[in-house]
Amino acid sequence: MFPDMKSTDSTYRRPRRGISGWFDAMARVFRREWSNIFSDLGVMLFFIALPLGYPIIYTLIYNPEVITDMPIAVVDLSRTADSRSLVQSISAAPSVEVYANCSNMAEAKDLFGQNKVFAIVEIPADYARRLGRGEQATVPVYMQMSLLLRYRTLLSTLTDLQLKVAGDVTSTRLATMGASALGLDGGLPVESHNNFIGDPTQGFASFVMPGVLILILQQSMVLGICMLAGTSRERRRRNGGIDPTQIQDVPVSAAIWGKTLCYFVLYIPLAIYVVRWLPEMFSLPHVGNPVDYALFLVPFLLGSAMFGQAMSGLCTERESGFLVVVFTSVVFLFLSGLTWPRYAMNGFWTWLGNLVPATWGVEGFIRINANGSTLGETTHPYLMLWILTAAYFIVSWAVARYSATSHTRRVKSDLNVPA
Amino acid sequence: MQIGFWPTVRREIRRMGSRRMYLLMTLVVPVSVILFFVGLLDPGLPLKVPTAVVDLDHSPMSRAITRNLNATELVDISQELESYSDAMASIRRGEIYGFFIIPANFERDAVAGKKPTLEYYNNLTYFVPGTLTFKGFKTVAVTTAAGMVKSKLASAGLPSELTDPLLQPMAVQDHPIGNPWMSYSIYLVPSFCFGTVALLIMLMTVFSITMEIKNGTSPDWLMTARGHMAVAVAGKFLPHFIVWSVVGQFLLALMFGWCHFPCGSIWAMVVAMELFIIGCQAMGLLFSSIVPNPRMALILAALCGILSFSFLGFSFPVQSMYGPIAIFSYAFPCRYMFLIYIFSALNAFPLWYSRIYFAALIAFPLVCSLLLWRLKKACLNPVYVP
Repeated sequence: MFPDMKSTDSTYRRPRRGISGWFDAMARVFRREWSNIFSDLGVMLFFIALPLGYPIIYTLIYNPEVITDMPIAVVDLSRTADSRSLVQSISAAPSVEVYANCSNMAEAKDLFGQNKVFAIVEIPADYARRLGRGEQATVPVYMQMSLLLRYRTLLSTLTDLQLKVAGDVTSTRLATMGASALGLDGGLPVESHNNFIGDPTQGFASFVMPGVLILILQQSMVLGICMLAGTSRERRRRNGGIDPTQIQDVPVSAAIWGKTLCYFVLYIPLAIYVVRWLPEMFSLPHVGNPVDYALFLVPFLLGSAMFGQAMSGLCTERESGFLVVVFTSVVFLFLSGLTWPRYAMNGFWTWLGNLVPATWGVEGFIRINANGSTLGETTHPYLMLWILTAAYFIVSWAVARYSATSHTRRVKSDLNVPA
Repeated sequence: MQIGFWPTVRREIRRMGSRRMYLLMTLVVPVSVILFFVGLLDPGLPLKVPTAVVDLDHSPMSRAITRNLNATELVDISQELESYSDAMASIRRGEIYGFFIIPANFERDAVAGKKPTLEYYNNLTYFVPGTLTFKGFKTVAVTTAAGMVKSKLASAGLPSELTDPLLQPMAVQDHPIGNPWMSYSIYLVPSFCFGTVALLIMLMTVFSITMEIKNGTSPDWLMTARGHMAVAVAGKFLPHFIVWSVVGQFLLALMFGWCHFPCGSIWAMVVAMELFIIGCQAMGLLFSSIVPNPRMALILAALCGILSFSFLGFSFPVQSMYGPIAIFSYAFPCRYMFLIYIFSALNAFPLWYSRIYFAALIAFPLVCSLLLWRLKKACLNPVYVP
């Protein structure tokens, strides 16, 4: 299948010189890396199984999208027709469900403490009296703040309710006052209308998943690269500083580009699956032009491959890179500005985020994907990805040079490690 | 060679000192990540969201609306644009997160009672800024309308004590318990720091156990512990536990001491943190027992650790998830730690209400020890599967 694996002649073939020699070396590294990947089950798990399976699990978690039927308790101390109609309006809202009608606050607090309800609506004893007198009736609502999403859902339901009650009561009051001549009978004189763009359903998966998909692409690639590099370091330790599965005596730059292109080619079908099919499978927003995000992903995948090779300098062992990479996923997610916008970060965090390809990948991709931006409108992240690709190429080159020249010294110190 | 519990502890301390990985992953990384979250989310809310206003009316009234928009703390009018398509292009370029349109002839129509419509657009591709712009725009839109009614009523001779209840006969008074500032810090820092600490504890526990198997030192480990798997595990876990306790209590000190997060009962949190650490170590033990090989056990720990951020319901509630998925959230110590934080610290409820969560944290080491026999078998015949 892979001629390189069987014959060793390509490994020790006398190197050609000049540009064509460089390309020849790169092509040999490409082929060798390809067979290295497909002969290592652990690496395939990261490179293939992870991007294929993980996004599905992840999306399924968030797929209910919005909060419906959030259980709340109602304490109706007024017990009048007015208060009952208010409770009816509350329970008619799709986002909440009246879990219990409590007779007093203590009972409701107990349910609150048992995590059975997430909010308490207290209708005071003078609710109907105040409404009847033409005064303002207040309705206190106590909310559990464990999740801001719940708070947001409940608050917007209650605000709508407040406006509805105002519409009903105000027009009657004005009519009884004989003020209908003012032309206010039909509610407020100015209407307002809001439009959500990007995520019109206000769904959670629709907001978070497109960004997470990009992060999964980067992190799975970095994990695989780190495992390949760690395994190679282990082999070098065992074989006196030489890893027999690597092509020897090729220019460092050719080796890096050969590997980068290998990862890039491997990730083309995966990227199509992740950014094109998954949003369609789960009805996430996908209004972007495929040509725009296909072109956008080119520097992103190249940059991630370079970033992974630069990071792989930290991996002395097959499994150790894994420890280093996994926790960064959470940090990178925040640095990308998906949850906490980048304009609110201080200079240091912005700067740190600038160094991660996924930051620009997420920013550009979600704008193309959800807002329908063109490549021209995402020039800044696009250019930054190319700059990062170049920068991490230089870092990878330095790392490879350093480890090549100092491997004998390192082999000694590594062998002394007992664990 | 000394054998017993304390020699096992000493052996583990030597192992921890021999590799930089332990120092890095048990102290440097968790403390840095904790400081990262505390520092990043310190402002509490990303206020002053960059937005635009499209004023097609250019009347005194529309200028007043623009000034009102700029006066709210939620939004910052960073651009004044001429058309809807300019504003949409600005959204697509990522310069603004929402825009507000004042239609042409707005003042004339409003005064004439023709009910003009104020339109506003919020980019929910970025959820938090999108929501904040929505809140800011809606407030201004509604108060603008209400202000006009009020001045109309006043000009008709109604006293102001009558106009207010007329405009808003029923007012919802919200009491966000424990977090009246709606600070993202109070809700994200604990959940993400607990999650990160849990992830790192599970990974490092798996790492320290399976590396014995990979390097073939596991028979020696078991021998030092007189051949008792329970002693071997306890001796291995004790030094790790002490280091993690330092990290965990540092996190609590930072949250409740330095950041002044609301805290009902600090002792409940201190005890819960210790139980939480033991629970996470037990999970690591479980993973190593199920697949006693470094790669698969680490993958299992990482997969569960990373996924737990999602299905523990920090950001999307467990109650709204699909049943078969929601059930997994109860299989992690982190979930109980989060609930104890909510009930004992944030809501300041009596300890009684958290009793089940404490019991669950105690149950983790007991349940996870059930597979110790499997780990013992693997330790006696260490086979490394790459």
